[in-house]
Amino acid sequence: MSHKVPVANKIKTDLHEILEVRNLTDSTFVMRFERKGLEFEAGQHICVGPPNGIHTREYSIYSAENDDYIEILVKEVENGLVSPSLKKLQKGGFVVVEEPVGYFTINNKLPKNQKYVFIASGTGVSPFHSFVLSKPEIDYTLLHGVKYGSEGYESETYDKKRYVKCTSREGTGNYYGRVTDYLKENKFGKDVQYFLCGNCNMIHDVYDILEEQGVSTDNIHAEVYF
Amino acid sequence: MFQLAKKRVGFKTLGCRLNQFETDAMASKFVAMGYDVVEDSKDTDVFVVNTCTVTNQSDQKSRYAVNHALKNGHNGMLIITGCMANHHKEALEELYPNAYVVDNENKSAIPQLVQAHFNKEIVPANTTQGGVFNYAPASETFHTRSMIKIQDGCDNFCTFCIIPKVRGRATSRPVEDILKNITEVVGFGYKEVVITGVNISRYEHEGVKFSGLLAKILDLPFDFRVRISSIEPDGFDDEFFALLTHPKMTPHLHLCLQSASESVLLQMRRMYTYRSYKQIVQRLREIDPKFNITTDIIVGFPGESEEDFQASLDSVDQIGFSHVHTFKYSKRDNTRAARMTNVIPEKVKSDRSEQLRHKTAEAKRNYRQQFIGSEQTVLVEKIDKRGFAHGYGEYYVPVQFKADEVKKNSFYKVKLTGLTDSREEPVLIGQLID
Repeated sequence: MSHKVPVANKIKTDLHEILEVRNLTDSTFVMRFERKGLEFEAGQHICVGPPNGIHTREYSIYSAENDDYIEILVKEVENGLVSPSLKKLQKGGFVVVEEPVGYFTINNKLPKNQKYVFIASGTGVSPFHSFVLSKPEIDYTLLHGVKYGSEGYESETYDKKRYVKCTSREGTGNYYGRVTDYLKENKFGKDVQYFLCGNCNMIHDVYDILEEQGVSTDNIHAEVYF
Repeated sequence: MFQLAKKRVGFKTLGCRLNQFETDAMASKFVAMGYDVVEDSKDTDVFVVNTCTVTNQSDQKSRYAVNHALKNGHNGMLIITGCMANHHKEALEELYPNAYVVDNENKSAIPQLVQAHFNKEIVPANTTQGGVFNYAPASETFHTRSMIKIQDGCDNFCTFCIIPKVRGRATSRPVEDILKNITEVVGFGYKEVVITGVNISRYEHEGVKFSGLLAKILDLPFDFRVRISSIEPDGFDDEFFALLTHPKMTPHLHLCLQSASESVLLQMRRMYTYRSYKQIVQRLREIDPKFNITTDIIVGFPGESEEDFQASLDSVDQIGFSHVHTFKYSKRDNTRAARMTNVIPEKVKSDRSEQLRHKTAEAKRNYRQQFIGSEQTVLVEKIDKRGFAHGYGEYYVPVQFKADEVKKNSFYKVKLTGLTDSREEPVLIGQLID
């Protein structure tokens, strides 16, 4: 009898045990938790929140499609409702996780030699981390805009020749300036697929730059972070 | 020896441990009564949603559980119980007229209630009322347009929109069900089908996407025309544009824009830009210069500047909309936009709304004016006491004409000769040709 009686049955939401927390900076960390069978495509996001609260926030999945676990990259927002609570959680604790959704994914019907440019600001690098780990054969260049060099967030994951860290407040990256300035100075072509992830201002500016460079909006894909 | 199959009861439980306990207790009782107990609604004779109402989100999730079961085809006995049933009993009974809404106090008697139902001793108290899931058979209503639901839910998660929370995630109806549905309604006498859903351009079922489905619909060997209802301007492929030239297709799309400001679209987390929207419109107008494009625009979204609003206002002429549904932004809990701080004052929203409505009225008249002197195939919807037939041409423009022996729900060729004076809803006046 007992095995037939339904257990806690929250709709498409589940508690996942935290397996690891990696602090990358004072405010930014990677949280790894149980996968529990969740299927996702690299680029999709999930809603995550503390186990005893009613609020969740959207986070792009940071880990690879085939990993046994799920990771998210979290930046603690001052006075935020969710991220400060997540920051307090430790290995062995739990988070509430809703199922993955989103269309910020790579079209598998495109040719294998398709070139991609990933443009991120801050923790907007998260879906690209998942792309690169999930599809190691992909021909990409990652432009990562941050304020300081310390905000590269495990940039050793990427092929050094394919990763450009653009630092706007100090000259410790591969390029001293905003990611948009780098893009103005370095054209990648009209046939490239551009994926943008980060704050609204960056995405807005990149759209303008790419339009000036003659790139079709069909080749531009954006995921806005708030 | 013939043996009856065991009845199945499914449960969804939301909220606290007490609820879970009560579900377990009910489940035990059902097992003792000889039922199979499962955790979802699939293939069940009875589905029990044990709700929670501690937050608005809990309410939404409770409703979602019911909707999810219904949209996935649950047509057995439906029971809504738990705290939401106590808190919103009347609203739930109105919304789900075929459901039993059982308050917490009577929750423990649900197994007996189920037995009584199958013994035909009781029916839900509210079954005589209408409801969103209680559509009358098409043969009885016999309107001129039949809505064909192909899809429900949405995964876009626009920042202002509560739909993914209320309607749930995107799901698509099987192709064969849709084709069968259309075959039935055309058989009932419908002359026009309207393809509808929450986000129909994202239709996908077993590899068939929206264009593939539309091609199959248009291939049905019957005399009817196809209209597409509200659609998001993303995910269009070349096949879709090619299908718009099919003789059964009507040249009209309600192509949701929401804002013509690129920065506001980003804040809304829409899946397109105004640039790409204009490119779609350009292709539509290459197919047919008079292609009718209507839209929705939200004014007063958080952070919408005067320049942002002006962009939306300008879009009316730039696109040549024939109609704009204007909405003042309103905050919905549990959406991302609800967390945005640069809120636009209500008065500003009202002013902008009025400006846009005024602009839209001009645009509507201008659009309809261009049909004077042309012919339209009008599907007659009603004939008034003065003997005027009223209906819509293929461009979804309203037409009226004086005619004897005109029948409802029939197509007529009409020569358009003028436009009525109404500012808000000018109607084309015509003369019957054949």
